[in-house]
Amino acid sequence: MFKKAVLSAAIALALVPNVQAADVSEAVIQESFFPYADGAPSFPGLKAGMTINQSNVEQFKDALDPAMYQFVKNGDTEIKVGETTDFALHPSYIEATRKYSGDVQLGEGHGEISETVAGRPFPAEPSLDDPRAGEKLAWNYKYGYNWGDSAAIMPFYWTMRDMESGNKERTIKMNFHFLNFTHRTSQEPYPEITPNPSELFRGIYVQVLEPFDVKNTQLLIHRFEDDTKVDNAYLYLGFQRRVRRLSTGQTTDAFLGTDVMIEDFEGYNGRISDMKWTYKGTKYLLMPMYNHNDMPLDTETHQDEDGYQVIAFGGKGGCFPDITWQLRKVYVVESEPVDPNHPISKRQHYMDAQTFIIPRNITYDRKGDMWKSWTIGQSHPDHHLPVNKGTGVSIDDSFTMIDIQANHCTTGQFKGIVDPERSPVDKFSVQNMRASGR
Amino acid sequence: MSKTITTTFNHLALGVAAALGTSIAMPAIAAETTWAGFVENATYHRDDVGISKFRNTAQAEFETKFDSDSFRSVRLNGVLRGTYDGVYDLNDGEFGKDAQQDYLGQNWHGQDTSTSVLTSGVPFPCENDPTLCNNLDGYMDQDENDARFPEFNNRLDFIRELYLSADKQLDNGDILSVRLGKQQVIWGKTDLFRVLDVINPVDYSRHNIYDELEDIRIPQWMLTAEWRMGPTKVFDDSNLSLVWNFDKFRPNNLGTCGQSYRILDAGCFFSSSANLQLIPGGPYSNPVPIIHDVEEPEWSLANTQLGLKWEGVYGDATFSLNALTYRQQLPSLHFRPLGPGAPVPAADGVFDIKFPRVNLLGGSIDYYSMDMDAVWRLEMAYTEGEEMPRDLNGHKETDMLRYVIGFDKNIIIPELGTRSAFLLSTQLFGEHILDHESDMPNDQDNWIATALFKGFYMNNRLSPQIIVAHDFAAKSTVYAPSVSWTPDNHWMFNLGLNFKTGGEERFPWSVASAFGDSTPQFEPLARFTNGPIGVANDEDEIQLTVRYSF
Repeated sequence: MFKKAVLSAAIALALVPNVQAADVSEAVIQESFFPYADGAPSFPGLKAGMTINQSNVEQFKDALDPAMYQFVKNGDTEIKVGETTDFALHPSYIEATRKYSGDVQLGEGHGEISETVAGRPFPAEPSLDDPRAGEKLAWNYKYGYNWGDSAAIMPFYWTMRDMESGNKERTIKMNFHFLNFTHRTSQEPYPEITPNPSELFRGIYVQVLEPFDVKNTQLLIHRFEDDTKVDNAYLYLGFQRRVRRLSTGQTTDAFLGTDVMIEDFEGYNGRISDMKWTYKGTKYLLMPMYNHNDMPLDTETHQDEDGYQVIAFGGKGGCFPDITWQLRKVYVVESEPVDPNHPISKRQHYMDAQTFIIPRNITYDRKGDMWKSWTIGQSHPDHHLPVNKGTGVSIDDSFTMIDIQANHCTTGQFKGIVDPERSPVDKFSVQNMRASGR
Repeated sequence: MSKTITTTFNHLALGVAAALGTSIAMPAIAAETTWAGFVENATYHRDDVGISKFRNTAQAEFETKFDSDSFRSVRLNGVLRGTYDGVYDLNDGEFGKDAQQDYLGQNWHGQDTSTSVLTSGVPFPCENDPTLCNNLDGYMDQDENDARFPEFNNRLDFIRELYLSADKQLDNGDILSVRLGKQQVIWGKTDLFRVLDVINPVDYSRHNIYDELEDIRIPQWMLTAEWRMGPTKVFDDSNLSLVWNFDKFRPNNLGTCGQSYRILDAGCFFSSSANLQLIPGGPYSNPVPIIHDVEEPEWSLANTQLGLKWEGVYGDATFSLNALTYRQQLPSLHFRPLGPGAPVPAADGVFDIKFPRVNLLGGSIDYYSMDMDAVWRLEMAYTEGEEMPRDLNGHKETDMLRYVIGFDKNIIIPELGTRSAFLLSTQLFGEHILDHESDMPNDQDNWIATALFKGFYMNNRLSPQIIVAHDFAAKSTVYAPSVSWTPDNHWMFNLGLNFKTGGEERFPWSVASAFGDSTPQFEPLARFTNGPIGVANDEDEIQLTVRYSF
C-alpha cells in the first residue's frame, strides 16, 4: 500500500504546476544518480569477502580515509569488504532534479541560493576549478533525499563507551523523527506542507525514553528555508516539565553527554552559511554501506515483535560496527566554521556521490589535530525492514563517533522506519513537546 | 532500564471509556505499560544541629498506552511515591514532637524583647497541645508520623499523579486533547520562582525552596483541555488550553513546627501564643494562641479554580497569555478583636487564617537573540485579591505585580578543562506591591537575583554547578555549590553545600511597643522581611544524595 502511495506521489509530482526550470540533461542525471551503471569501481587487490587488517592495511591505504586507516593500522578494528551495490534514490527525487534543477544558482552571499523546489540542486559533477564547488556539494547534502520526506528511528540506542576498557558507561534510548516541510517529492503533500508561516525547511524531533534521569527530555529543531537564519531549537527537560529555547552554543555541545554534537547529526546538522566549504576532490573509498539483513546482529540490545535486531558492535572498546564496507565514489569536502569561537577547526566530509549522505567524517580540533571520527553505516532499504523496501532511502543504520583524543566513543544502533504516519506534522511543534512530556 | 509489559486491560479499558464517555474499542484493549522509578537516600547535615534530613524515597512511574479507534492516542500515567524521613528518629533532640525551642525563632536569630511577648512554637501541636491542634485543624496540624511518612495521609499523597490523556484529531487537522486526573500543570518559563507557575500548591517542608518544583508541587485533581491549532497563516504554533482544578483547595505546606524545614519559620509562629496575660489589669488570664482557626475553603463548585492559556510561536518568539482565578496558597492572617471596635485581640486566638480568592492575568515570552547567541525570558503576572502581611491588623488586600527577566547563555571555556559548554542562567525576580503601607514588612519593591553556572565533564557524568541567589531587601544570600556524578545508567551521587548569609533585618511590631520596646524587632514580622533565605540563615548544610534508578 505504501509503495503504491509513493508511486502515485511520484507521478503526481511530475504534474505539480510550479516553478518550471529548464530540464537537466539526461547525461548529468545518469552520472549523478547512477554512478555504477557501467560497473562497480575497483581497487588493486581489493575483493568482496576479504578482510583488511593490520597485516595488509598498507596495501589498501588509498582506499581508506586517514582515520580509518589509522584505526586498522593500530589493530582497533578490521574492515570486511562487501560488493559495491546500487543505492538508487527514489524516482520522484530524481524526477524532481530533472525538472527543477536546470537553472539553480548560488546566490551572491555565502549560504544563498536561487529558488529551489525539490531535487538535487547541483547534479553536475563538481570541478576543482570551481571555487564554490564545495558549497554546491553542501547544498546537495542539505537538500538531499536523506531520510526521504519523513522518517523515524524508533528506537535509537546511543551507548557511551570507554574505548580502553570497553566499559559501557551509559545507554540512552531515544526516538528520532524527521520531516521535510519543503522540498518534498514522495509523500503527500508535495512539494511543501502548508501553512508554513516561518518557511521551515526541516524539523527534527527527539524524545528520550531511557534512562530515568534524562527520560522525557525532548529536542526540537526547526531549520528554515532561508539558510542565513539561525535554527530555532527547543529543549524540554522532564524534571522541569518546561520547554526552553536553546542557544546555538548548545548545538555544538555534547548532546546529552555523548561524543556527538547536535551539529554532528547525520554527518552535518547546521546551516550552509555556518561553514566555509571546500571541495578537495573525488575519490573511490571504502564506505560503511551494506545490507542490514545480511549483517551479524546484536541479539541482546533490542527485541520486538517484528523480530528486528540492531547492528552489532565490536573492535576496540566495542566502538566499531560489525558491518561490511564497499568501495564507492565519494566527494571529499572540507568545512571550516565561520565562527572563530567554534570548538572545531574543520570537518573532512566524505560524501557518497550517489546518495549525498555523509557516511564518514573526520573532525579536527581548534589546534588542527584529529579529534573525532564519525561513521554512519547505511543499509540498503530493500534489505532492511519490509516497510522500507522500495523507499529509495539510504537507511542510517549504525553509527560510531570516536573521540580519538579521549579514547572514548558513542555508538548508535537504529531501527529506522520510513513511514509518514510515524512523523505527522504536529509532532514537530513546541506544543507537542509539552503534551508528550509528563 | 524501564520495564515494558504488554497486557490486556479489560477492566481498566472500561474505566477509561467510562471516564471519557466515548466508545473506545471494546471489549479488550491491548495495552503496553512501561515502568520506571528510583530509590533514593538524601542525608543532610546541618551546622551545629546534626542530621537535618535522612529522607528515603521510593518512586515508581508508569505509562500505559491504549490502542483506540476513536482517539489518536490514549494513555494512563501514574507516579507513586513513598517517603520515610528518619531525621525524627535519628535527631529527635532537634526535630520532632519533643524538639522544644527556648524561644520563638531560636533557629534564625537571637532572642529579643518581642520574643518574650510571644511564646516559643509548640512542636507538632497535635502531639502536645490539643487546643492548638484544634485551632490549626486542617493546616499545619501534622503529627510526627505525618512528617516521618509525608505521603501517607488522608489526601492519598502517595499517589502523586494519576491521569488519563486522550488526543482526538479533528476533521480540520487540529487536535483536541483532554487530560483528567491528579496532575501537575506548569505555566511559565521561570526556575525557582513562581510567577505563573501557581496552579499547584507547593510543599516547602520537603526542602524549603531548594528541591526541584517537580518534586514539591502538590498534584491536584484537575481537568485540562487543549485545542492545538498547530501552524496558522500567522503563527507557527497556536494552542488554547483550559484548566479546571476541581480538587478541594490545598494551601502551600510551609512545614509544621518541629519539622526540619519550615519556610519563614511560619509553622512555629502559628503554634505560638502571645503572653497577653502579662498585661497588668488586662482581660487575659492565659497566653492567647496566635491562630484561632484555619478557614480552609470547603469543596464547592464556586471554590474550584479555573485557568485559560493561549500560547504559541511567532517567528523567533514563543509566548503565552494566561488568566487564572484561584486561591492564595499562602496563609493570610485576619485579626480577631476582643469585641467590636476593640483594638486588642480576642482571648481565644489572635488571628484566623484565610486563603482569599485571587485573579491573575499574565504572560510570558522568550526570544532567541542571534546577535548575543543567548535566550531572553520574560514572565509577568498581575494579581488582584492577594493579601499581604502588615502590622496593623495582620493583612491588607493589594494588587501585586511580579515579573522575572531571565538570560541563558552557553559558554565554552577551554581553560576550565572541558570542551563542553558551561550553562550560565541568570534571573531577576521582581515584586511590586501596588497598595503598599508603611507597616508592611515587605518592601514596596523587592528583587531577588539568581545565577546558575553549571559545567559538564566526563561525558556529562560529572557535573559541578553553583547556584547563588541574593534577596536585595533581606540583604541575604544563599550559595549552593554541588557536584553530581552519574557513573552509569542506574546510580547517581550528588554532594552539595548550602549556606546562607543575612537574616539580620528587623521590623517594628506595635505589640512590642505596648510592652515598652518600640525598636525594630525580629519577631514576628521580620520573618517576612528576611524572606526564605534570610530566615534560614542558620541552616548551613552539607548534603549527600544517592539515587538508584531502574
